[in-house]
Amino acid sequence: MALERKDADASTTVSVVTVGPARSRDALRQALAMGCDDASLVLAEEPLSDLAVARALAKVALETKPDLVLCGKQASDDDQGFVGPALAEVLGWPHVSMLTRLVPAEGGVELWREVEGGHEVWKASFPVLGTAHKSEKEPRYPSLPGIMKAKKKEIPERPVGSLGADLGGPRLEIVALETPPARGGGKILKDGDMKAVAEQLATLLRDEAKVL
Amino acid sequence: MDFDIPEELQLLARTVRDFVETRLVPLEKTIEDEDKIPVEVLKEMAGLGFFGLPFPEEYGGAGAGDLGYCLALEQFGRTSAAFSNVIGAHTSIGAMSIYLGGTEEQKRRYLPDLCAGERIAAFSLTEPSSGSDAASIQTSATLRNGCWYLNGTKIWVTNGPIADVVVVYAANDRARGPRGGISAFIVEKGFKGFRVGKVDDKMGLRGSYTGELVFEDCEVPEANVLGGQVGAGFRTALGALDVGRISLAAGAVGSSQHLLELAIAHSKRRQQFGKPIAANQAIQWMLADSAVEIHAARLMVYDAAWKIDQGKRPSLEAAMVKVYASEMANRVVDRVLQIHGGMGYMKESPVERAYRDARILRIYEGTSEVQRMIIAEELLKE
Repeated sequence: MALERKDADASTTVSVVTVGPARSRDALRQALAMGCDDASLVLAEEPLSDLAVARALAKVALETKPDLVLCGKQASDDDQGFVGPALAEVLGWPHVSMLTRLVPAEGGVELWREVEGGHEVWKASFPVLGTAHKSEKEPRYPSLPGIMKAKKKEIPERPVGSLGADLGGPRLEIVALETPPARGGGKILKDGDMKAVAEQLATLLRDEAKVL
Repeated sequence: MDFDIPEELQLLARTVRDFVETRLVPLEKTIEDEDKIPVEVLKEMAGLGFFGLPFPEEYGGAGAGDLGYCLALEQFGRTSAAFSNVIGAHTSIGAMSIYLGGTEEQKRRYLPDLCAGERIAAFSLTEPSSGSDAASIQTSATLRNGCWYLNGTKIWVTNGPIADVVVVYAANDRARGPRGGISAFIVEKGFKGFRVGKVDDKMGLRGSYTGELVFEDCEVPEANVLGGQVGAGFRTALGALDVGRISLAAGAVGSSQHLLELAIAHSKRRQQFGKPIAANQAIQWMLADSAVEIHAARLMVYDAAWKIDQGKRPSLEAAMVKVYASEMANRVVDRVLQIHGGMGYMKESPVERAYRDARILRIYEGTSEVQRMIIAEELLKE
């Protein structure tokens, strides 16, 4: 989505930043190879709370002062969908989540999101934050010359502690994680007349399923 | 000694792998049926930089070196051989001839368009009565009034029917033999006296264009003598063929790896006599032998490609990896077809296609026998 804006207007600068462990460099390198202008890593080897990540990113956003910040809609591991909106709140910026399309508009941007049976279109002035759902287009392949050029770009790195952000805050702790119980087969009640079946059903719902 | 593939080349290989799986594999049947690669796919490949992989950025290339190029071809080996062939003939021997043998001016004039895939290159050496014995070239080059005239017929030219730029090897002085008597010329589509003849129908390599090129008093300006040196063609051809042989081997490694993966999956799935056929030692040995040989060939490819990137001229290694990898690929595909049984013989199976595609590996860019000749010559020289 960001690169499409750059395609449309070559003066656009696309910067990528992530808060994460050193292995996040791979993803940043991939973004550079796809055509992003620069990338930086805020190094956090230990997992942080979502709010701390948002606060750290806010410090970066205040330094670089972008018009538009795009985040993913959710992390693929904990599915919280929290960091994007929290970052907008910390910055005091408007935000729209689950974008499928961005359209430049006078003094800002139109932010499209899919809703049941159609699109919802929001308009916001800069600066604004959006979280990206699935774009209408597939992510592009990095060009092979792009990959080789990306090698030469530095990816500056700094520890998350150096940003001066409040890294405290509430942390969710996973207390238990379990797979859903295997489903047993269903039961078909067919002995007796309708009244007898209804009685059996009520008994089973109360004694076995314990829903009554 | 460091056997790690650099990070950016790993990313390059992953990107090609992803492209091959999502964009090219679904086209395999169309390519077999129609015997051509859809034009828009070639354009997409050009846009991603697939036509200039090993060349430096200053000529419009990706700067991935020969190792990066071979890693990409290994991934292209996982689908229809047409793709590695169109890229290989264009890059390893067509454009590479210009890169290795051309003057600075020729490189600047031709390489950027070739690297961008805006023009396609071919390499043209073989003739009806001249194959590995390059000294027997019949196509003649005669200089008259500041212009070279080529006369003769080249055959089995990969990319020939679609090429915009062809590096043609012709005899300028038959008496002087290959060294001094053969020159390379850059011929463009549209040069007077140059035309495409018969387009070949092959056993495999469906979708890769191969054909005859006819030169009838074909006019080539003096500025298009490759390297500006009359008689230097043979050396350039050998240099390009070194790169070509390594890259062919890279494709063979990728294809064999893919086939081995298919055979592993099939042998675990296929049940006979109450157990998967993979439980039989006869099958296990075929899988194990294939894995060993693929590993050996892959290391040979990386070693030879790395040597090219170090500025060396690994002609011996190129001959060794060409003969080993192409014969390995034929053994592997034969075993993999055997493991698949009747299913592997059916047209709908990718193994059937791979079996036909693999056979040419032992023939083109120097037969297995010629590679052994080159190796033995090196061993026995005083």
